Amino acid sequence: MSRTRSAAEEKTVNKDESCAPPPLLEVTDLSVEFRTPAGQVRAVDGLSYRVEAGRTLAIVGESGSGKSVSSLAVLGLLPDTATVTAGTARLDGVDLLALSRKEHRARCGDQVAMVFQDALAALNPVHTVGYQLTEALRARRGMSRADARKRAVELLDLVKVPNAKARVKEYPHEFSGGMRQRVMIASALSLDPAVLIADEPTTALDVTVQAQVLRLLAEIQAERQMGLVLITHDLGVVAGVADDVTVMYAGRAVEQAPVVPAYTAPAHPYTRALLRSIPSASGTGRLSVIPGRPPSLAARPSGCPFHPRCDAARDVCRTEVPPAAVPAKGRMSACHFASDIMAGQEPAPDGADEHSTGRTTAAGNAAATAFDRGDDRGDSGGDHG
Amino acid sequence: MAEPVLEVRDLVKHYPVRNGLLRRSVSAVKAVDGVSLTLDRGRTLGLVGESGSGKSTLARVLVGVETPTSGQVLVDGEDVSRLSRAGRKQLRRDVQMVFQDPYTSLNPRMSVNEIVGEPFAIHGIDPAGGRRAAVSELLELVGLDPDHANRYPHQFSGGQRQRVGIARALALRPKILVCDEPVSALDVSVQGQVINLLEDLQAELGLSYLFVAHDLGVVRHIAHDVAVMYLGRIVEQGAEAEVYDAAQHPYTQALLSAVPVPDPSVRLVTSSRPVEPTPVAGPVETRVPTSSTGSVGAIGSVGPTGSVGAIVLEGDPPSPVDPPSGCPFHTRCWLAPTLPEARTDAAPAQPPAGRPDLGLRLVPTMCETDVPALVPRSADTSPGAASDVSHVVACHFARELVDPRVEV
Repeated sequence: MSRTRSAAEEKTVNKDESCAPPPLLEVTDLSVEFRTPAGQVRAVDGLSYRVEAGRTLAIVGESGSGKSVSSLAVLGLLPDTATVTAGTARLDGVDLLALSRKEHRARCGDQVAMVFQDALAALNPVHTVGYQLTEALRARRGMSRADARKRAVELLDLVKVPNAKARVKEYPHEFSGGMRQRVMIASALSLDPAVLIADEPTTALDVTVQAQVLRLLAEIQAERQMGLVLITHDLGVVAGVADDVTVMYAGRAVEQAPVVPAYTAPAHPYTRALLRSIPSASGTGRLSVIPGRPPSLAARPSGCPFHPRCDAARDVCRTEVPPAAVPAKGRMSACHFASDIMAGQEPAPDGADEHSTGRTTAAGNAAATAFDRGDDRGDSGGDHG
Repeated sequence: MAEPVLEVRDLVKHYPVRNGLLRRSVSAVKAVDGVSLTLDRGRTLGLVGESGSGKSTLARVLVGVETPTSGQVLVDGEDVSRLSRAGRKQLRRDVQMVFQDPYTSLNPRMSVNEIVGEPFAIHGIDPAGGRRAAVSELLELVGLDPDHANRYPHQFSGGQRQRVGIARALALRPKILVCDEPVSALDVSVQGQVINLLEDLQAELGLSYLFVAHDLGVVRHIAHDVAVMYLGRIVEQGAEAEVYDAAQHPYTQALLSAVPVPDPSVRLVTSSRPVEPTPVAGPVETRVPTSSTGSVGAIGSVGPTGSVGAIVLEGDPPSPVDPPSGCPFHTRCWLAPTLPEARTDAAPAQPPAGRPDLGLRLVPTMCETDVPALVPRSADTSPGAASDVSHVVACHFARELVDPRVEV
């Protein structure tokens, strides 16, 4: 993969420009590494995604899966210990990651802006909300104080903060959680960005307020035809608002698909397991769980990073990193058995002849799985029989 | 079967708001304002509500961290407030707590062995076989490797830390475990493991749980009975299936409707694709579900019509310092302004003083003046449900929005 990256990347760019509408933001093969006492740790590994106008891309993953780091990289907000080691982030045809820090900064806010998770921490407690909203307008747009103030009131109106005129003079602590998050959204919108990246914008909010904020984001997005990247861990939120979904695990995108097929026919065992682990109304018995825990990025498992927790792992998963398979049009799954999983079948057992039955035709069903479990154990015991 | 292990009667917890030079108490935060609950042995009572609804305060009063302003807490029929010092110490052994954040509720300078063994030290108990062996046993019980007893909290993942917290709570063999948001800080894939552990422990040890959470899906899974709190009061209470499938309080219905469902055919927002036709009804921006759209309350089993997100409440919960008169929910209620009573009532409600942004809302006078009692109110259409007195709701106009056909 990474050896032929630059060539492949150019090809995809060209192809995309010829047929599909050009994406607002296209991230290609992004890798981010952190310097730690234990050595270089790769937090994001070859992530690619595209955001189109008026569409919502959800990036889902557990903590440590690299979903936040990847967006910080796009915005140039990575801490000093982190470096982008590969990849591009094309916004309007310009690779943000190749720009100097100053140029990069000039484009952020203007073209791509971010809403952070914890609004109380992201807003400055010693300045009024109005000051914080006008700061960018005055510095970047050269507005006068009065004009900027007027615009700040408009922005608060836009995000439906009641009584905006009076509330611009208030401090962040005087706002409730939901209202604070609206202020965050208003400040992200102040320079009319084409792409908005929202990092867990509703995680700290109650469900009733979460519904308000998500609805607001969707309204604004539809009105301005913005591209929205929604980073979340809540599969319910994704199903409710996203058009496309990228599932991340251990720094990699493991599945990318439009939201409906991703839920009805997930093509990666991780997506499938995540969906099964949500408590549902019908499931009164034991909750289906993913055994183990997310791997430490410093000690990434060999082969497919998900294989130690995967219920469909085969021998090949332990040794070979799965390539990005395309099980259906517009979908990607980094699994050796993507088409089997998508078809709702278990991959053929290891014992079977791999080339004739292993990856394409799936003899796997309930009986075969049960058989395979036993087979699997026998295999690992006496491997070189 | 229904043997209550914990009973709460008219519990009130007010925190004084002090002001001025003499720090006189000028008003009170009415965190818990008259709550009555019963928890049966071996059962799980789920307590749901938004932040600020008083559910955590209630939990803290029950474990004895806070003293109630008034009301009674009965553990095994014994009034906790009348207990002697020694009796209270015994109570603390019977009622233990699992905290929300496994990162801050474990002392980083203590090893797991010390953390889990500390309850023995505090209560001066020498378990049979020694403390060390007891700790190993507890760690095994919660699915941790006893060999890790000398490790420190930072060496564990979030899920493992929560297991340490559970082991500590179980050390004194309590009867009741109060779990305050025990899984909300954990990743989805780990949440399920902890929930399964709690269920296994309940079956094994006959524990009773008071499970406080804001995640309605998790509560639905683990709880036998559910109580919904709003502004320090319980607005609806009943068996899990009753509350979720046949919610009668408009607040419960709104909560359930706001929960995002992991089903992409049910959109929370309607902008980008025409999944649901949206006839906006009424003066407020809420679509009132009719009985034909059906399962407002049935999360996870919502039909393709997509009624989830149909009710979006406006605004935030009011402050518990100055709760609204009458029904505490009337300022945000989506149902009240649509009732015929609201239009025939003469006096238009004035916007509350100091909050002109709330706008004019016409609600039935009754909602503004009378506090609704928490009583069973079955839909008059289904006579069979009338016998069910365990499902109580505090609303003057409680009505079932679920299609009666689904019930039968």
